[in-house]
Amino acid sequence: MNDNRDRIDRQAPDPGQRTERSGRTGTETDMGERLSGDGPRGRRRVRPGGTLPDPRAAGDDAALDAPLETALAAAVRAGDPAPQGEQQAMAAFRAARASGAPRARTRRRDDWRPAAERRARRPAKLTFGVVFASLALGGVAVAAIGSVGSSTEGAGSDSGRGTTIPSAAASKRPGGAAPSPSQGGARPTDRPATAKDTEAHCRAYEQVKADGKALGATAWQRLVVAAGGADKVAAYCSGQLAGTTARPSHPTRSGSGKPAKGASNSANATARATGAAGNSQANGGQGQGNGKNN
Amino acid sequence: MGQVGQTRRVQEYDGELGAAVARAQDGDETAFAIAYRIVQPGLLGFLRGIVGDDAEDVASDAWLEIARDLGRFRGDGAGFRGWTATIARHRALDHLRRRRVRPQAGGTDQDVLDLAGPHNTHEQALESLSTEWALELIRGLPRDQAEAVLLRVVVGLDGPAAARVLGKRPGAVRTAAHRGLKRLARQLGIGGEAEEGVTDVASRTLGESK
Repeated sequence: MNDNRDRIDRQAPDPGQRTERSGRTGTETDMGERLSGDGPRGRRRVRPGGTLPDPRAAGDDAALDAPLETALAAAVRAGDPAPQGEQQAMAAFRAARASGAPRARTRRRDDWRPAAERRARRPAKLTFGVVFASLALGGVAVAAIGSVGSSTEGAGSDSGRGTTIPSAAASKRPGGAAPSPSQGGARPTDRPATAKDTEAHCRAYEQVKADGKALGATAWQRLVVAAGGADKVAAYCSGQLAGTTARPSHPTRSGSGKPAKGASNSANATARATGAAGNSQANGGQGQGNGKNN
Repeated sequence: MGQVGQTRRVQEYDGELGAAVARAQDGDETAFAIAYRIVQPGLLGFLRGIVGDDAEDVASDAWLEIARDLGRFRGDGAGFRGWTATIARHRALDHLRRRRVRPQAGGTDQDVLDLAGPHNTHEQALESLSTEWALELIRGLPRDQAEAVLLRVVVGLDGPAAARVLGKRPGAVRTAAHRGLKRLARQLGIGGEAEEGVTDVASRTLGESK
């Protein structure tokens, strides 16, 4: 009888089970089940009836759980911490302080400031990044407009060739006195840019060389190749950086072909532009003429 | 949820803790000791609930890392409790991985624990709650519930902070803590439900009839 009822009870849908249970409260079957502590059954018994407050209804069970939580916290926190624990922690603190680096970089997981504070800080960084990027890209765009405009103008008008182009080449863009007539009009703008690239790479190299991965990038490889070896980069760079500012004119031209090093060419061009304006003008004119033919 | 009293009590120290942490970051040794004394009981209780008797060792490891990375930390007293709990939890999980021992997922001691709490009143049940028994009860919970209960009740973190320590959504942690507490209450015989009261009566009748 009892077995049979038990079986039915297990199969019964929950509402029915509940009414049946309340009807036979105190029977031995019920007790046996309860004392055996049947886990899943217990859960089924409690949950569908809705006697449990919803977890989200915090107000409801606050009164119920507060004493339990207080007691739990008191009990669990009560154990005496061993005194050597504090000594070890203090020793670790002293060691960390002695080793320096008191203010290492804060990683994301170290930032426990209130969310509002963090959110306020992030947009500031983001805004700065966006502004910086737009300035950088805008600068490139403006430079591109300038170079395209002047070269088309020079190539397009025969009459302007003698006046506008040489002046532009000599003053603004010394590279315009390109020693490579076959390169055309767009070529001159590349060279100072390359020189600046080398310069920039050299500056950045100082900061990045500690990081092994970054040196694998193409730009660094190119720089290393240009310097003739990883250990010569420093020397190469100091030469480059000095050369762009105060280097005397290079004695020989680097030939009519493609220059090996942008920076030295830039220096060449500058020297030529200032020292031999006529020559550079002639060259410039020739270059533009050829550019038109291209 | 209903941990107002406990949370308030723990958070009373948060102002002091925040100030101590700030001074410790500037190299003040005494301030670091103050922070240690405020944080350690909760941290140790949390670790006892996860790794049991090895809690002191794991806590020692955790404090090594806390001292080392103190300069990286940003936040107030409550944030410091969350940050230290995260570090302690990572050390505890490492420890468990090394030991290859999982904390007991609920169910095994269930029978014993259920029988162990035939108290007539809530007060009796709570007064007799010893450290060992409380920890045993908590360790009997499923892992997620045990961690949620420990972080919220013992460490005294609020919902979002506990969720961040556990790397879960706040809702999931809230539910886990709620279920864990419910289960503990049931095991202590203070379920507070009508049905529980009915069966208490039933058990007494049964005892008499037999």
